Amino acid sequence: MSDINIKKVSYLAKLELNEEKAALYEKSLSEIIEWVDNLKKLDTEGVEPLHNITEKSQNLRNDEVLKENSTEQVLSNAPEKAQNFFRVPKVVE
Amino acid sequence: MPTIKEIKNQLSNKNISVQELYNVYYDKAKKSKLNSFNHLLDPEYNKENINSSQARYNEGKDLSLDGIPLGIKDLFCTKGVPTTASSKILEKFIPEYESHVTQNLLNDGSLFLGKNNCDEFAMGSSNETSFFGPVINPWKNKNNTDSQLVPGGSSGGSASAVAEGICVASIGTDTGGSIRQPASLCGVVGLKPTFGSCSRWGVVAFASSLDQAGPITNSVEDAAYLLNSISSHDPNDSTCSNHKRENFLEGVGKGFDRPITVGIPSDYLKDINSDIAEQIENTKKHLSKLNVNIVDVEFTTTDFALSTYYIIAPAEASSNLARYDGIRYGYRGCGNTLEEIYVNSRSEGFGEEVIRRILIGTYVLSAGYYDAYYRKAQKVRKLIKNDFQRIYNEVDFILTPTTPNEAFQIGEKLDPISMYMNDIFTVPTSLAGLPAISLPSGLSKNGLPLGIQLIGNYFQEKSLLQMASLLEKEFCFNE
Repeated sequence: MSDINIKKVSYLAKLELNEEKAALYEKSLSEIIEWVDNLKKLDTEGVEPLHNITEKSQNLRNDEVLKENSTEQVLSNAPEKAQNFFRVPKVVE
Repeated sequence: MPTIKEIKNQLSNKNISVQELYNVYYDKAKKSKLNSFNHLLDPEYNKENINSSQARYNEGKDLSLDGIPLGIKDLFCTKGVPTTASSKILEKFIPEYESHVTQNLLNDGSLFLGKNNCDEFAMGSSNETSFFGPVINPWKNKNNTDSQLVPGGSSGGSASAVAEGICVASIGTDTGGSIRQPASLCGVVGLKPTFGSCSRWGVVAFASSLDQAGPITNSVEDAAYLLNSISSHDPNDSTCSNHKRENFLEGVGKGFDRPITVGIPSDYLKDINSDIAEQIENTKKHLSKLNVNIVDVEFTTTDFALSTYYIIAPAEASSNLARYDGIRYGYRGCGNTLEEIYVNSRSEGFGEEVIRRILIGTYVLSAGYYDAYYRKAQKVRKLIKNDFQRIYNEVDFILTPTTPNEAFQIGEKLDPISMYMNDIFTVPTSLAGLPAISLPSGLSKNGLPLGIQLIGNYFQEKSLLQMASLLEKEFCFNE
């Protein structure tokens, strides 16, 4: 069995699970991790990890500021806003 | 089903107007009971686009997709039109910008009929994880006509809608099989282009090293029409290739002027059922008729592909989905502190499978496990890519089944791992970034559609579509 601490993992992911859900996900994750553990059987000594599939250099563009959105547009989907800002609970005392 | 070319001829010859055509599809889509659209755009909404399209036909200056009603997977940002990723967390999200791919389609004159249902954040193989409910496959098992079948996923709404004929074609996305698997289960054509062919800009991100847009259509020729439109360089996606694109229609229907070799991987066929084996045997016969050389090939990494995928894809997903925090857009849960808002928004906004993938991804990336899982998977991914490259020294295309089974019943597969096994034949290609097309090849004993997958080499979509079009003619699936 794997050593999954579901409370710690969900804390890192900013997810809250009730006792019942936590138990279900712990079991599910253990099974999936056990299933993917067959990779340990493969010798990958000296193999370079693949980050970018085309392995070409990326097509970078110049770092120029473009004015593509107005403040109004950026805020248009905000759940709560005030004046020209996203609104959140007080973060400093 | 009429092809894009046939519809365009009808429009050019004034047998039907753009408005009439749109109304026909809109009315059919409105009456459909298969839940394949999250959002439909009525003729009034598209009035301006319909009129300008008609004006171009009147002047004989029609664009490549002029007036063609398309479905768009609800994962593409469409300006002013709700884009939900079939998730509660984006239920009310209305983008202020257009994705690169959908902008290309609009620039070529097509009309958007609406947004196709899909698995939540494209995470699923049956379209059952959608917040807006499952999509139903238009096909019925002839030995069990009462049961409702899944269309596959995650682009299940796209595949179901194209198969039902309520849109001419649809644009989906494929991360581990999300275009090809539903295309196979619905009896339509699905193409996943080479990673880097189409821009990911404005596509709700799942796994950024794998996600790719592609067409779901009724014919290979239609797929070429759409690929011509959506495949182009975009400075907003640094992984989008800047090479000059070919005209993908050019090869369609034409024979090859060079000998062609197709490899069939014996390791893919080890445990397949008789329905699937029959598709491969049948395809071999047609390939022989087309004077194609068939050789046996064998991969050494196939048994490790799903494991690699179910580490890499959730890892990237957990990182990509960190942006849903309830602050700038999307669903916001209640809370007196920032932390409470983050946690409640995410816990209430994400569905069960999305939470599972975020948890897997968080685990494999967490301190102490990163090397054992994520880094290990990236190394195996390199071996998988090398495996394909070794085989492409000998062959032009690789032939495999698309799926290990026919469409199954809604609610039938409850265990995540058995669901993940659906992508066993499509995932290796995704990890290697290669282009692949699923083509309907025949019916199962239950009368359900099955597909074969043809895999091409990097950026060889033109010859891949050419080969597929020759096989399509042999299969006569639509006749």
